[in-house]
Amino acid sequence: MKHKINFILNNEEITHEVAANRTLLDVIREDFDLTGAKEGCGAGECGACTILVDRKPINACLMLAVEADGKEILTIEGLSVNNKLDQIQQAFIDHAALQCGYCTPGMIMSGKALLMDNPSPTEEEVKEAISGNLCRCTGYKKIVEAIMEVADKTNSAR
Amino acid sequence: MKDFLYYKPKTIEEACEILTRYNGEASILNGGTDVIVRIHDGLNHPKALVDIKGISGLKTISFSKEDGLVLGACANMNAVINHKDILENYQIIAEAAHTVGSCQVRNRATIIGNITNASPLADTATPLLALDAVVEVFGVEGPREISINDFFVFVRRTSLKVGDVVTAVKVPYYKELKGSYQKHSRRDAVDLATVCASVLMVDGEIKIALGSVAPTPIRCRKAEDFLRGKKLTEELIKEATHRALEEVSPISDVRATKEYREEIARVLVSRGLRDLMG
Amino acid sequence: MKFVGESVNRVDGIKKVTGSLKYVDDLKMSRMLYAAVKRSEYPHAKLLKVDITKAEKLPGVKAVITGKDVPNRVGLYLEDKTFLANDKVRYRGEAIAAVAAETHEIAQEAIKLIEVEYEELPAVTNALEGIKSDAPLVHPDLGDYKWGPIFFPEPGTNISNLYKIRKGDIDKGFAEAEHVVENQFFVPHIQHSPIENHSVIAQMDPEEALTIWSSCQSPFAVQKALSVAFGLPQNKIRVISPAVGGGFGGKAGTTLEGIVIPLAMRVKGRPVKLTYGREDEFINSFVRQGMHATIKTGINSDGKIVAVKNTFVWDGGAYTEYGVNIVRAGGYSSTGPYDIPNVWTDSVCVYTNHPVGGPYRGFGMSEIHFAIEQNMDILAEMLGITPIEVRRINGLRPGGSNATGQIVEVCGLQDCLEDVVDKLGWEREEKKPSSKPNIYIGRGISCGFKAPSMPNNVASSAIIRINEDGTCQLLVSAQDIGQGSDTTLTQIASEVLTIPPDKITIKTGDTDYTPYEWQTVASRITYCAGNAVVKACQDAKDQLFELAQIKLGVPKEKLILADEYIVAKGNENKKVPIKELALGLSMEDGSGIHGPIIGRGSFIPPDVKNTDKTTGQGEKPTAFWTYGCQGAEIEVDIETGKIKVKKVASSFDVGKIINPKLIEGQVEGGILQGLGSAILEELILENGIVKNPNFVDYKIPTADDMPEMIISFVENPEETGPFGARGVAEPCMVPTAPAIANALYDALGIRVNSLPITAEKVLKAIKEKQ
Repeated sequence: MKHKINFILNNEEITHEVAANRTLLDVIREDFDLTGAKEGCGAGECGACTILVDRKPINACLMLAVEADGKEILTIEGLSVNNKLDQIQQAFIDHAALQCGYCTPGMIMSGKALLMDNPSPTEEEVKEAISGNLCRCTGYKKIVEAIMEVADKTNSAR
Repeated sequence: MKDFLYYKPKTIEEACEILTRYNGEASILNGGTDVIVRIHDGLNHPKALVDIKGISGLKTISFSKEDGLVLGACANMNAVINHKDILENYQIIAEAAHTVGSCQVRNRATIIGNITNASPLADTATPLLALDAVVEVFGVEGPREISINDFFVFVRRTSLKVGDVVTAVKVPYYKELKGSYQKHSRRDAVDLATVCASVLMVDGEIKIALGSVAPTPIRCRKAEDFLRGKKLTEELIKEATHRALEEVSPISDVRATKEYREEIARVLVSRGLRDLMG
Repeated sequence: MKFVGESVNRVDGIKKVTGSLKYVDDLKMSRMLYAAVKRSEYPHAKLLKVDITKAEKLPGVKAVITGKDVPNRVGLYLEDKTFLANDKVRYRGEAIAAVAAETHEIAQEAIKLIEVEYEELPAVTNALEGIKSDAPLVHPDLGDYKWGPIFFPEPGTNISNLYKIRKGDIDKGFAEAEHVVENQFFVPHIQHSPIENHSVIAQMDPEEALTIWSSCQSPFAVQKALSVAFGLPQNKIRVISPAVGGGFGGKAGTTLEGIVIPLAMRVKGRPVKLTYGREDEFINSFVRQGMHATIKTGINSDGKIVAVKNTFVWDGGAYTEYGVNIVRAGGYSSTGPYDIPNVWTDSVCVYTNHPVGGPYRGFGMSEIHFAIEQNMDILAEMLGITPIEVRRINGLRPGGSNATGQIVEVCGLQDCLEDVVDKLGWEREEKKPSSKPNIYIGRGISCGFKAPSMPNNVASSAIIRINEDGTCQLLVSAQDIGQGSDTTLTQIASEVLTIPPDKITIKTGDTDYTPYEWQTVASRITYCAGNAVVKACQDAKDQLFELAQIKLGVPKEKLILADEYIVAKGNENKKVPIKELALGLSMEDGSGIHGPIIGRGSFIPPDVKNTDKTTGQGEKPTAFWTYGCQGAEIEVDIETGKIKVKKVASSFDVGKIINPKLIEGQVEGGILQGLGSAILEELILENGIVKNPNFVDYKIPTADDMPEMIISFVENPEETGPFGARGVAEPCMVPTAPAIANALYDALGIRVNSLPITAEKVLKAIKEKQ
């Protein structure tokens, strides 16, 4: 049985029909071709599927698409507006905070969610916020530095 | 994932009715962090999922000295961790909730989901046990209460019946609450407990609860009884820890051996008690 | 230098931070079918019956194949595997049959309808058992297989390679040694755990040409293996590797491509996709081999090691087509980076009924160094000298000789050792006392080295095309699997041509369009592909100079490139922009000569030769060696046994840093992977069954586990390397685990001889010591 759902996807109002057994990750990847979020484990352990639902990071592999009804969803593809990179995306490039790139969209979304919630996190808070995002390439140091740089910039601009 | 039907009832009665109709073949969908993984991995094949997040009032967290803390079934872990009243009056619950999964998981997972899954290692079970929480249930015959001490039956089994929906968990108000949640795991972040413990001083009485050392999370009554009315000393802590150990029956699995779990239970109980001494 | 040595931003940065880069599983094609695989339930069994009739009848199923459809044996170094099992299964999880269906769900359903009858056979679940003469044979037909001349299988046993080193006189060495000790170590299986699981799509067109999109490190190696397996000419196989979400060796050679192709052949025109789940990744892609090490050492009171006898027994798993070379590398590197006159090594690859061992970052070196470097500390303590001192005494220096008898010319090991010791200040400052009574502090050091473990004559190539506006396309098949080769190869091209990196677009990984590369493995890309890029750019430069000498009237020898111009040396006014000659030279009379500038470069490492078959001795067995050192500071909780790694300092001699920011990141990643293998990671195997094939119970490090990292480098140039560079991708994870193990000993005086050093093992060792 299909369910009709209404939600906002990267600032666009969407009405869509989904089967109950499809995850939100499957639907954004397959029906909307938003493939920045990846399935790395299907168990909420790797964080490669991290997207924001109502401004909070969640594992899209652990949420049914029907549950997205009435929600506001932001994926990595919605982060840069008019081809202008978000500060955190630029910081990841500047700090070489990415290697193979597979964890990067999820990692950036976790970092973004943290900064939306807490614009001046400590390094410990950054580490905690991304500890649900596994990266096998970077050793995390440059990722933490990139997120901290955005926080510092935001704070000094105040 | 295998197909299933999805219901999102607006009332608790409706939820109970659907669950009853499916007679055990429907599961509740709350945070989804456990049930969706189990369906994905082919461990569960429910015919229907009943999403209880559409029922009004279940997200509420409320507190008063008269009623204590009422944690609504759909309040997620991060809501609990950051709740002012919980931080002020029940910090141990926030501490335990904070160790569950990742930030992403905690934005979906709930304390009620954590306890109704009845995993022996459920992080939030031991503080609730130590605090003598009460589980509020709505079932076929209407609302009822189950003491958390009678709630866990076996590995992944509770005393809930078909049709039951846990609506909240209530924690009494205590004037004095000291102590902390301790978790030993292989990896510090995002891991299951090898052993976890809540060791508390509640209005002058010591309460000890342990996870991952038995088929269910347990209270160490013998140790508590032994300590009742006594002032903690190193000697007493040693004896109480010894008694607590008599109440555990851990297993060996991929995470640790039985012997190591016993050892860690010993360390966590004595550390917890020592902290209360200071 | 203007571009080499600069922290240029990654050229693939924007597409990765915006999520727009399409990895294989992100590709969607019209009328695509989904594959699923029927896998063995037993570690070792005869296949009595594989009945696919019910699966074939399921609506939506388009093709079902079994091992009968892919009978040809393939393998990189030893042709011992078929893509699907024939006659018998050799590990639990081995592919038996595969299905292509309209949806993933139908394919899964069809798999359940395939009926398999097994006759269980006794299994080999321990390499030390497998080596015994009465062990069940995993490959009774080993004698019929084909293998490369540098490998030594022993048909009639489970030994698929026995690599020997016989240097000096081992008996004499021990006889003369003042002290002789023997130690044993064990390294378990671990898994690469890239965040991207393997994925492949295959499509066959009406001309019977195959296109394969694969998350693979080595498109040309895949092309060759598929050509052998399916009897197709190479010009009919196009392998595209659009992006790789982490490899670490796990996506080297071929893995799942051979399962999907026979399906694609049966559903002509329709693409078929297979993406592994995490459990498949843990069990059915490559794993790092387990290894049992015994090291007997003869040492004199002055600290000089005079003899060493190593036995390395490797748990190669069910197929060792790739593993035999890891064992070879473990053999020729068996002394570690130490100068020892008398050496005897047997490095033995053993078939077991375990998941398939394969290349994993470090390729044998992490495994042997866990043993060698702990052994060094044991020796130091025995003689009452420091771990640093024993390494100063025995560590290789220029002019010294390694296990193969090769006289080492360039060797910065001692520089790296001193660098780390200095950065950590260990010889200046005593350990700070712990603030808590249950926490103990330890310091440990480890050296390490690695060479590219590849056949001597493997080749690389590159093409550079210059566009009319002075921009370029650089074509290679070196794959950027995260290590940053797209960026560093671009920088190398920039340096030779004086054209900035933002004007050069690099394209990789399409066997129809990008030129040959053997494999993206072995820390060889900067060196090998880098050399090919240098040569291609020099070729383009040469062509430009040919034309410029006509244009400028200045002989070729007097021309140089500067800031995108061809300039007459000493007369800077005489110049012509590169772009003006991109399509050839236009003469004043309107005629033209030469045409478009296309530079080509081919490279094979010079003068690398096989070692002697019986002694393993040789003049130059490898293209180069990368040496380095790491030191670790840890805290141990003596009540729980838990280790927290607080600080790691690292120094490697990389010859020449191409991109400081990228190389630093690469080493940081290597340290965390080494840390994971040190204290967290193990594929737990019980009776051939993997007990923890998921991230719930196979833990890799998170950001929370990150220690303070002090990264530095030494630059003793590699004579044949591009701008003096050599590789560091793998070497940087080699010393981490032994440094942590040695720090544990420093903290508590206990040694855990097997990885991972879990809290439980530490606590047990503490109790045993008491």
